[in-house]
Amino acid sequence: MSFFNTAASTAPAAPAEKDIEVTDPPTDSISSLSFSPQADYLAVGSWDNNVRVYEVGANGQTQGKAMYSHPGPVLGVCWNKDGTKILSGGADNAARMFDVQTGQTSQVAAHDAPVKAVRWIETPQGGILVTGSWDKTVKYWDLRSSQPIGTVNLPERCYSLDVAYPLMVVGTAERHLCIFNLNNPMTPHKTMQSPLKWQTRTVSCFPTNNGFAVGSVEGRVAIQYIDDKDSANNFSFKCHRRDATPNSKDQSLVFAVNDITFHPVHGTFSTCGSDGTINFWDKDARTRLKTFEPSPGPITSTTFNRNGSIFAYAVSYDWSKGHSGMTPGHPNKIMLHACKEEEVKKRVVKGR
Amino acid sequence: MAKKKNKAILRPWCWYCEREFEDEKVLMQHQKAKHFKCSMCPRRLSTAGGLAVHIQQVHKLEPDQLPRIENALPGRDGYEVEIFGMVGIPAPDVADYKRRKEIELGLAIGTISQPPSKKPKIENRPLTEEELKAQLEAHKALMGGSESSASAPAPDASANSVVYNAAPQTYATPSVPPMPPGMGMSPPPGISPTPPGHPFFPGAPPPGFPGAPPFMPPPPGMPGFPPGPPPPGFSPPPGFPMPPPGMMPPGAPPFPGGARPPFPPPPAFVASGFSPPQPGAASPLSIPAPTAVVPGAPGVLNAPLGASPPPSASPFTNVNAVAPVELKLPDPSLAQTNPPFKKPTELKYADPNFSPDEKRAVHPKYRFVPNDTGNVTNENAHPEETRGKKRARAEDFL
Repeated sequence: MSFFNTAASTAPAAPAEKDIEVTDPPTDSISSLSFSPQADYLAVGSWDNNVRVYEVGANGQTQGKAMYSHPGPVLGVCWNKDGTKILSGGADNAARMFDVQTGQTSQVAAHDAPVKAVRWIETPQGGILVTGSWDKTVKYWDLRSSQPIGTVNLPERCYSLDVAYPLMVVGTAERHLCIFNLNNPMTPHKTMQSPLKWQTRTVSCFPTNNGFAVGSVEGRVAIQYIDDKDSANNFSFKCHRRDATPNSKDQSLVFAVNDITFHPVHGTFSTCGSDGTINFWDKDARTRLKTFEPSPGPITSTTFNRNGSIFAYAVSYDWSKGHSGMTPGHPNKIMLHACKEEEVKKRVVKGR
Repeated sequence: MAKKKNKAILRPWCWYCEREFEDEKVLMQHQKAKHFKCSMCPRRLSTAGGLAVHIQQVHKLEPDQLPRIENALPGRDGYEVEIFGMVGIPAPDVADYKRRKEIELGLAIGTISQPPSKKPKIENRPLTEEELKAQLEAHKALMGGSESSASAPAPDASANSVVYNAAPQTYATPSVPPMPPGMGMSPPPGISPTPPGHPFFPGAPPPGFPGAPPFMPPPPGMPGFPPGPPPPGFSPPPGFPMPPPGMMPPGAPPFPGGARPPFPPPPAFVASGFSPPQPGAASPLSIPAPTAVVPGAPGVLNAPLGASPPPSASPFTNVNAVAPVELKLPDPSLAQTNPPFKKPTELKYADPNFSPDEKRAVHPKYRFVPNDTGNVTNENAHPEETRGKKRARAEDFL
């Protein structure tokens, strides 16, 4: 009867390799994920108007900690530096702040159109909230005043925004990219057309703040350096594509790159797509580090925790097929992946 | 035919070193790497003959100078036998290997057709009464000592597959009285409280959280999310333990622990469902009026949210009453077009002018129409998006 013991001891090992599903996920698609910079708390914004906060334990177990709502769908969520406040922007044209100590919610920003992206900027002088909206503006807020401390007009609607102080990059409709040096936040340091020829879906700054990655709806990612002297290192690559028929090798089905996130320690990055796949990449070695098993639905958002040991990704519908793609049984879940060192560490570049 | 049958049951093995492999593909990789590797260059060949030709032609060695096959058993290090995976093994060697395998596995001669894999022998013979009882006992212990485990089917297949497979036999004798623990094979009683569904987080779910519903329902009369700080002296609802202070990282001030039941009870989550989308269903539980809006916030948006459900939360069935919304470009002359593709391509999201999120946000199910301004009833026909665009355009004028 020894099989009994062996079975008991081997059984936990196998599924431990698998990614862990967060309990009690939102009831509708997940728009954004954000880990606290101080602890393994995951804030999740959803199209069901709510922001949920989960505590992630050492073994990946999750527990709901708090929830608050917007009157409209939530489009973006972030934390402040000390992890005491959660900030979220939504289709209600507002950004709201949730105080995790008191549980109070308050409105901290207002726009004329939905707020697509929110980011916390930790300046030497103090923390500032930046909001990017479809009303073609980016606004800076100090949370104490109902009026923004600064408003910058964008050439088009803000689709994505990311900050690695003092670098801020805003990706807009019509493929504009506005690059800000936050030492001079009121005027763009540089405005350029996206190196990609299709609609910008997401932008993400290098943790080293000397460049950024852009993802487009046409399964392509561009790596772009700010400084012109680094422009030789700029490149773009195709990803999130699939063959029309198996083994045809034509890669003719092209999916949108929904999110790009950089590993906070190693500077490698993840891309996720409408095709339900996730890849880890090393931009310097120009290699793919890991491919995830395809998920049963599009990946809408991804994030690393503060030390890069946990990678969270949301499997939910991204509206890429419009309302008709919103099928009743569509998966809607958040998965946690324990990052292995070799998946996220930079490869040693040979002979380049 | 007989040979083929045996081959299918014996695991593939390497003639050169008599190692066993999961399948022939792996075996071939092994042979390439271990036996058919050229010792003078990194080249790997597929067969001994190929290696011989390679060495003769590339490295200009005479046939009699060929190095022996590496890592091979004595007597099997020559080039005479052409081996390719399992193909080409001399019949006497196959028979010999089979015989030795039979002896090794303790099988009668000629019974090699039994799978020699690691599958436990127990599967191939009927269980004795003793073993059945022992298994039942072990299974019960695994299932958390549930009394009804003998009659109810196991709810959780994750217990472990062997027991699960054995279950039908076990359930066939429900009248067997449970054996006392300590049969040597049942887990010690101390382990049994761990629910079988959580074998990977030993001790993770605190007591009082037996598996499925992780969130306790709020006590009656308590809204899902109290707007203010918890009143002093408020005690956590039973079963919602305060996290131990040590769990909180130093930088992050602790959440007010169990004092605030954070989420509505799971039924509200589940019942509102995903398919008939009714965000409104969840909102009465989860959205109490945030009366604590900061005074400084723009007054226009300060209307209490709980007063009436936001229009975006209106049930999907009423949507037809609302005029459909078209996304309009602020400046149609700037409309983008996608560039042509060099090769036939199916772009899954092909709208160059609007993001999927923008389209989703104007869909009746998600559309947000502020109900806080006085004239909103008149403006109901006007979509929020155009309102925003109008303002943006006005701003452009300035």
